[in-house]
Order: sequence, then structure tokens, then C-alpha cells
Amino acid sequence: MTGLLLAAAEQPKVHLTAQTRILAALIAVAFMLMILELIRRDRLQERFSVVWFVAGIGMLAGAIFPGLLGTVADLMGVRDTNVALFSIILLLLLGLALNFSVIMSRQAAQITRLAQERALEKAREEADSAENGGEAERERLER
Amino acid sequence: MGTLVFIPAWNEAESVASVIEGVRERLPEADVLVVDDGSTDETAARARAAGARVASLPFNQGLGAALQTGYLYALREGYEFCAHLDADGQHPPAEVARLLEEVRADRADLVIGSRFHEGGEGSAEAEAIGGEDYRATISRRIGISVFRFFLTLATRQRFTDTTSGMRAANRRVMKLFSESYSPDFAEIESLQLAVREGLRVEEAPVRMLERAGGSSFLTPLRSAFFIFKGLIVLLVGQFRPRHPGRAEPAPLPKAGAGR
Repeated sequence: MTGLLLAAAEQPKVHLTAQTRILAALIAVAFMLMILELIRRDRLQERFSVVWFVAGIGMLAGAIFPGLLGTVADLMGVRDTNVALFSIILLLLLGLALNFSVIMSRQAAQITRLAQERALEKAREEADSAENGGEAERERLER
Repeated sequence: MGTLVFIPAWNEAESVASVIEGVRERLPEADVLVVDDGSTDETAARARAAGARVASLPFNQGLGAALQTGYLYALREGYEFCAHLDADGQHPPAEVARLLEEVRADRADLVIGSRFHEGGEGSAEAEAIGGEDYRATISRRIGISVFRFFLTLATRQRFTDTTSGMRAANRRVMKLFSESYSPDFAEIESLQLAVREGLRVEEAPVRMLERAGGSSFLTPLRSAFFIFKGLIVLLVGQFRPRHPGRAEPAPLPKAGAGR
């Protein structure tokens, strides 16, 4: 047991091959280009893109400076850098999902109020046209 | 002194016209509004034909949002009192008239029609309507008693029929419900909210009938989910900040009021 731990401690904290690092960097760049393209085509609003750019830059930084992840793991007091990496990603995604729920709730409330306002306005218009003896109007609405 | 009776309706074309006629007969002085909650059938057209005003929501949003639309309409159009009942014919309009009397006499801000309130008979008129008396299914009864227990705990006031959709209210309630109201869980949270904001909420015994048309949406699984959701809503509601003055409407304009 002690031998195993010692062996683990002797190993470098992060051992990414050049191949993995290039692949990760390429994915990060492609990811950010995709975000750019989505914004350019008005499929994504700028205010929602910030977090994705931060994620892309983080990924790129991790690929270029592999020591970074080891430092972060040390700061967290985690021996295994993989565990550190996955917990960070997991927490970020959790926070992001919650953020979207909050945004969704707000928008649901706004949509409801908008629909209500629209319904009231229409009812108001109908009442007005009925007062003006708008029989034709009423018939049109009944159809 | 205007009174509005509104009826939330979602695909209730079969029964909505007779409900409107009943209300117009029992409450000739009141305006009738049907809040059409995105119906895909003839509900809106039949309501108009029966002489009601119709506010149509562009898509189905649930009972809470439909009720809120009614309260908002009553508040905006300057009605002094409002009441609502279900569109499926369970609620005798004569009983609604009795609820409105309580509010008009200023004995309460919000009056709930209760099926289970003891020590009271329904009005003679409701008796005369006939039909089967209200009988709850088992899953429904469990839900009702769970909500009754927790709502009583939360509000320290005894409620027997927490999910009743027959209510009468004054302008303080209109103001409160049209602004702050979780459209998700209308019946229970609204009661909790009203009590928390210091409104006088009372129950009045009423008679309800078996549904005239359509069927209840509750299956056992849905009931369980419904109860669970309700409990969360109640729990969260206990920790919501109070806003004094939220139930204080602007004074009614003298001219053109209650049109």
C-alpha cells in the first residue's frame, strides 16, 4: 500500500502526451469558432456566450500549459488531477444548468404576463366594438 | 359597486354556456367574464353567444394564470368585487351569490366556498338544483387532507377545502393576486399568501355538484406529484418575504367605476 502511494507520488502530476494536448487545443479552438458562428448567425445572443468563451479559453489554457491543472489540483488539495478536473467541470455545468433554470423561470413569468395582457387587451377591444354596435365585428370574431 | 364574476375555462364548451346562464340568472347585476385558457374547442364562441365577455389567452397556461387574468381584469376595469367559479358545472351560481354577500358585507376580504365546512347548510336554492352531491375519490381525499393539515399549520387558520375553485374577493385581493401569485399552484399558495399579507380569509359552506361534463385530470401518480409539488410550494411560501402594502389597491376612480 505504502509502496503504491510512493510510486504514485513520484509520478509527474500531469502526464498528457503531445498528441492529447494538440487534440484538446484543436477542440477548444473549434468550439470557440462554433460559438462565434452561432453569434454571427443570430442563433446565440452575446450575453449568453460569455460563459462558453470562458470555458473554451480554459480548455485551451489547459492544453497549452499542462502544469496548470496540477496547480489547481494542489490548491484543491486533490491528489488525482483527473478528479480535480472532473469535479470542476461537474460543478460548472451544475451552476450553468441552475442559471438556465432561473432564466427560464423569469421568461415563463414574462410570457404568462404577456399572454394575459394580450387577452385583456383583446377583451377590451371586443367590449368597445360591442358598445359601438359593432355586430359585424362580433360576427367576425365568432367565426 | 360593480361586480365581476369570472369563469376560467379550458375546453369546457359543453358546460360553459349553462354556467354563464346560471350566473346571469342568480347574479343579474354582475358582469360575466370567461377566461378562455387557450381552448381548442368552441368554448370562447359559446361563451360569447351566451352573452359573456371573453378574455382568450393565446395558449394554455394553467388554472393559476387563468385566474390571475380574471383578477387582473377586475382590478383594471375597476370592479369593486369579484368572484369566480369553475366552468364544469360543479359550482351552483346560487352559492357564489352567497359568497359575494360575505365580501360585500365586508366580513372578509376573500371568501372560499368549502365543500367540507361543518355547521352549515348550502342555500335552499342549491338544494333545489338537485343532482348528485359532491363525492371525492380516495386519492383526491388523501390530497385534500394532506393539504388541509399543512395549510392549517402554515397559516394557523383552519381551512377545510383548500383546493376549492369557488371564491369571492374584494379589491385588496385583486391587487394582491394580480401581482404576486405563483401561477403554478393557484389554490393553495394563494390562500397562504393572502393570510400572510394580513387579509381576512374566511370559508363559507357551500354545496357542490358532481361534474357535469369532462373528467378530472387526476390519476394516482399525478395526485402524488401534485401533493409533493404542493408541499414544496407551501414550504417555500413560508420563507417568502412579506411586502406590506402589496394588498393595498389604489382608490377607485369615482367616475366610470365598475363599467
